[in-house]
Amino acid sequence: MAKKKNKTAIRPWCWYCEREFEDEKVLMQHQKAKHFKCSMCPRRLNTAGGLAVHIQQVHKLEPENLPRIENALPGRDGYEVEIFGMEGIPAPDVADYKRRKEIELGLNPGTITQPPPKKAKYENRVLSEEELRAQLQAHKALMGANDPSSSTTAPADSGANGAVYSATAQTYATPAVPPVPPQVPGTPGMPPPFFPGGPTPGGFGPPIGMPPGPPPPGFPVPPGFPPPPGMQLPPGVPPFMPPPGGALPFPPSFLPPGAPPLPFPPNMGPSPPGPAPPPQFVPASTSTPPVQSSTATPTHSASTPIPSSVIPTLQLPDESLKQILPDFKKPTKLHYTDPNFSPEEKRSRDPKYYFKESAPAVTTNEESRGKKRARAEDFL
Amino acid sequence: MCWWESPLPRWSDATVTSLAPARNLVFTFYPPVEIVVMQEQTELLSPPFDSISSIRFSPFNSTHLLASSWDATVRFYDVNANEQKAKFDQRAAVLSCCFQDASHAFSGGLDTYIRGLELETEQTFHLGNHDDSISSIHYATEINSLVSGSWDRTLKFWDPKSKSSQATSSHTLPERIYHMDLVGHTLVVAMASRLFQIWDVRNMQSPVSQRESSLKYMTRAVACMSDQKGYATASVEGRIAVEYVDPSPEIQDKKYAFKCHRQSIDDVDHVWAVNALAFHPLYNTFASAGSDGMVSIWDHESKKRLRQFPKYHSPVSSISFSHDGTKLAAAICDVWDEGDEASKQAKRPSIFIRALGDEVKPKSMTGK
Repeated sequence: MAKKKNKTAIRPWCWYCEREFEDEKVLMQHQKAKHFKCSMCPRRLNTAGGLAVHIQQVHKLEPENLPRIENALPGRDGYEVEIFGMEGIPAPDVADYKRRKEIELGLNPGTITQPPPKKAKYENRVLSEEELRAQLQAHKALMGANDPSSSTTAPADSGANGAVYSATAQTYATPAVPPVPPQVPGTPGMPPPFFPGGPTPGGFGPPIGMPPGPPPPGFPVPPGFPPPPGMQLPPGVPPFMPPPGGALPFPPSFLPPGAPPLPFPPNMGPSPPGPAPPPQFVPASTSTPPVQSSTATPTHSASTPIPSSVIPTLQLPDESLKQILPDFKKPTKLHYTDPNFSPEEKRSRDPKYYFKESAPAVTTNEESRGKKRARAEDFL
Repeated sequence: MCWWESPLPRWSDATVTSLAPARNLVFTFYPPVEIVVMQEQTELLSPPFDSISSIRFSPFNSTHLLASSWDATVRFYDVNANEQKAKFDQRAAVLSCCFQDASHAFSGGLDTYIRGLELETEQTFHLGNHDDSISSIHYATEINSLVSGSWDRTLKFWDPKSKSSQATSSHTLPERIYHMDLVGHTLVVAMASRLFQIWDVRNMQSPVSQRESSLKYMTRAVACMSDQKGYATASVEGRIAVEYVDPSPEIQDKKYAFKCHRQSIDDVDHVWAVNALAFHPLYNTFASAGSDGMVSIWDHESKKRLRQFPKYHSPVSSISFSHDGTKLAAAICDVWDEGDEASKQAKRPSIFIRALGDEVKPKSMTGK
């Protein structure tokens, strides 16, 4: 699957069936074809209202006998709401959808709700020598250059010369593992306002060591922010802490100074992994060296879909009662032939349905919602 | 008639579109109306997205229907208005549901939880749980208890008002419970390995009797006669047995079995599972539903088939009579008896509601 460019920007989606689309044009085509198609003739209308008027006037149907809108989710098959692409979706449904999307992508609550980061403006002109130097230094600082002399000057310059240039730098900023962590006080650490879409004021920002910007999906919620009930960790996220000490990709001292107050103690590494809160902090799992991630991920991809190897096979509780399928006298095709396990038991072990009690269950309606939609989509 | 023949001036689509941004444009001509004239068969408009594990009519209202599904939902329908009134999302596939009274219901499934469902407020609460998937639940009105059976080989009784999540009693059975049916105080439990137990819910010290099925293949369904004298059971090998509770030899001699839900294609007998049975609440005839997509009505006293309804597009997984016996609901969906691959080609599940006439009356009553 193609990677989504921006996780926080929500893609156009269809209110009737909650499918996502590349752009609004495609969405409108979809709505015309799937929801606003007249069931009695080949005509496709642009809106539900259009369809209603068409059916009444052309097919002479009484308003109360209008067929429900086709292929729509339950409760969304009426004509009361006038939908046109993304126009007209009731606000509660938008909020609800965003929240589910966040849960699905493993994003912090509210991430999607904030406006998508603005593109930095480029001024199309020849840069002056000074600006160029400032930019270079800002860049070096960002890349974690180990030259203290250059980096010390950087923040001042970048601050003085305006955020525009330094902000653009974040596009390529992937400071995975800096060779030597800079230790100079007041070094790089871009002041937060320079990150479009960067840390939100509430301390929800991406964990230290991550490239600035919105956390990629699959990044666990920082500690101290327990996930909403029922939130699933996306596949590939190790649900527990890496072994303390050596496995940490960064020396624990690597902290961009000047960073906002930390939501968690700085040296997570050597501390014993005692009774930590459930969503443990895996430092920058995405930018760790491949060796580490390859050893870490496959062992515990604990969320859906569950690989079939993990699912225990069906066991007879009492072997002495084991049944044997009797023979037929005539040529017979029996359509269900397992004498010991019912179709439902087999089905319950299919990865699509297999259920394993994972956490102390909190019974809320939100829980099943996120994963259920995905399954429902198969049928639409 | 097509639009170009329409005598009325046609509203162009553009006109309508231009109205779209006006948010307050409300189409007020859509009051939900009751379909007064019930056609012979109606399909519910918003069925579950995945296979339907069980459907139950309300014992109080012939328009209320519950459907539990593998899409991890329980849905509550008003079948006359053809409307989904409520939907309950759960953590895993739901295998069974039942009504307590007009506005309360219960469900149980793969997540091993018994949940109380409040049909009006769409609230759920947790009543208790089993150690394995819950395969069947019933509400015993006579003792005001919920009865649940599970693949963990236990039968549990619950007080629906209890907040302790402890069962009022728990009974260990020899095998996994597959199906149960309850009429009055008679509870028939069908287990794996073709075992049966009959219980009297007023006295749960021990089962009234334990039996082995007279059918040689896995039990797929069980239903109690509405007069509590006996029960019908069906197997994966298209066959139904009619058995009686009374252990006296002369009564036991009356039990019999017959073949059904099969078809001979090119000299090979194709035999399908009988997935569901249901007794008519007034006439004591019964309906059977099979993986061949057929629903048949039988008179077990005269040993005659009264009616076979036209074949459905997919297997029939569950059937239910309304409490007044005027309607029969049938859930049409894949039942996994051909496994994972076949289910991928399965059609969208559907629920049909059929209005019933004389075809469900025994011959002795219709005088034919």
